[in-house]
Amino acid sequence: MTSIASTRSRAHGSPETERFVPGQPDMWAFVLFEAFVFTAYFTVYVFSRARTPDVFRQSQMHLDLRVGVVNTLLLLTSSLFVARCVQAAREGSYRAATTNAFLTMLFGSVFLVSKVREWAMEIGQGFTFTTDEFFSFYYFLTAIHFIHLLIGFVALAVAVRQLTSPARRSQVIVETCATYWHTIDFLWVLIFALLYVMR
Amino acid sequence: MNAGFEKRLIVVWLALSTITIVQLGVGSIDGRAALARNSAITASAILIALIKVRIIIREFMEVRHAPVLLGRLTDLWVVLTGAVLLGGYLAGTAFPKG
Repeated sequence: MTSIASTRSRAHGSPETERFVPGQPDMWAFVLFEAFVFTAYFTVYVFSRARTPDVFRQSQMHLDLRVGVVNTLLLLTSSLFVARCVQAAREGSYRAATTNAFLTMLFGSVFLVSKVREWAMEIGQGFTFTTDEFFSFYYFLTAIHFIHLLIGFVALAVAVRQLTSPARRSQVIVETCATYWHTIDFLWVLIFALLYVMR
Repeated sequence: MNAGFEKRLIVVWLALSTITIVQLGVGSIDGRAALARNSAITASAILIALIKVRIIIREFMEVRHAPVLLGRLTDLWVVLTGAVLLGGYLAGTAFPKG
């Protein structure tokens, strides 16, 4: 394990910047695997939707596009903070890195609450997993993303533990956790476009 | 924190947030109550989303500093996803149910 102190300098923006894989390469293999799995889910959704556009659109109208936008902004902001966390840790500013990791958790938590609230509203109006094809996809895609987000909190907890314990600090682990969190973010960006925006 | 890097992160976040708010307009450009299929909205929604995804991967995930192979692999996924989503939409449109 590489300690943060001994990690090579990664001076961004300077001409002499050396190329490096952020975090563990294994995580990138997992990220690509996950990305392709989600692409498969999305393709089935888009194909099914295009075959019965009226059913999907009528159900989609019960979703609030503004809630989707707010949720996207929440996750984008959480990604900003986890990127700041990585950079602060790289510079040895562990207190700032920890603060940014907690801010990431905060915005992630607000997303979770917002998502549960949206599910409760839809269920309250009678739209459940079995209502129609659109809602089956809606609950499946948002739920599987939700589970990934919960795992993301475990990753962030690992990062915080690394940052707060001088004996344990590892820049590579912090970057690995951040890579996972960003993956949850970009998968949501696609889910938002497909469930809330597309016609 | 490195001021230049922090500024870049903020600019990226602002750009991503602005594009997201633009999507609010794209999603309701023909009126919230419009029922008709709209290929232009669908294609732009997918393309805008993939642009955002690539920005997240390049900037937040620091792939722009990574070995070229990782950049190519992630770009390959972005392009492939765009192709199969648009292809899936066209295929579904060509073979309507019922």
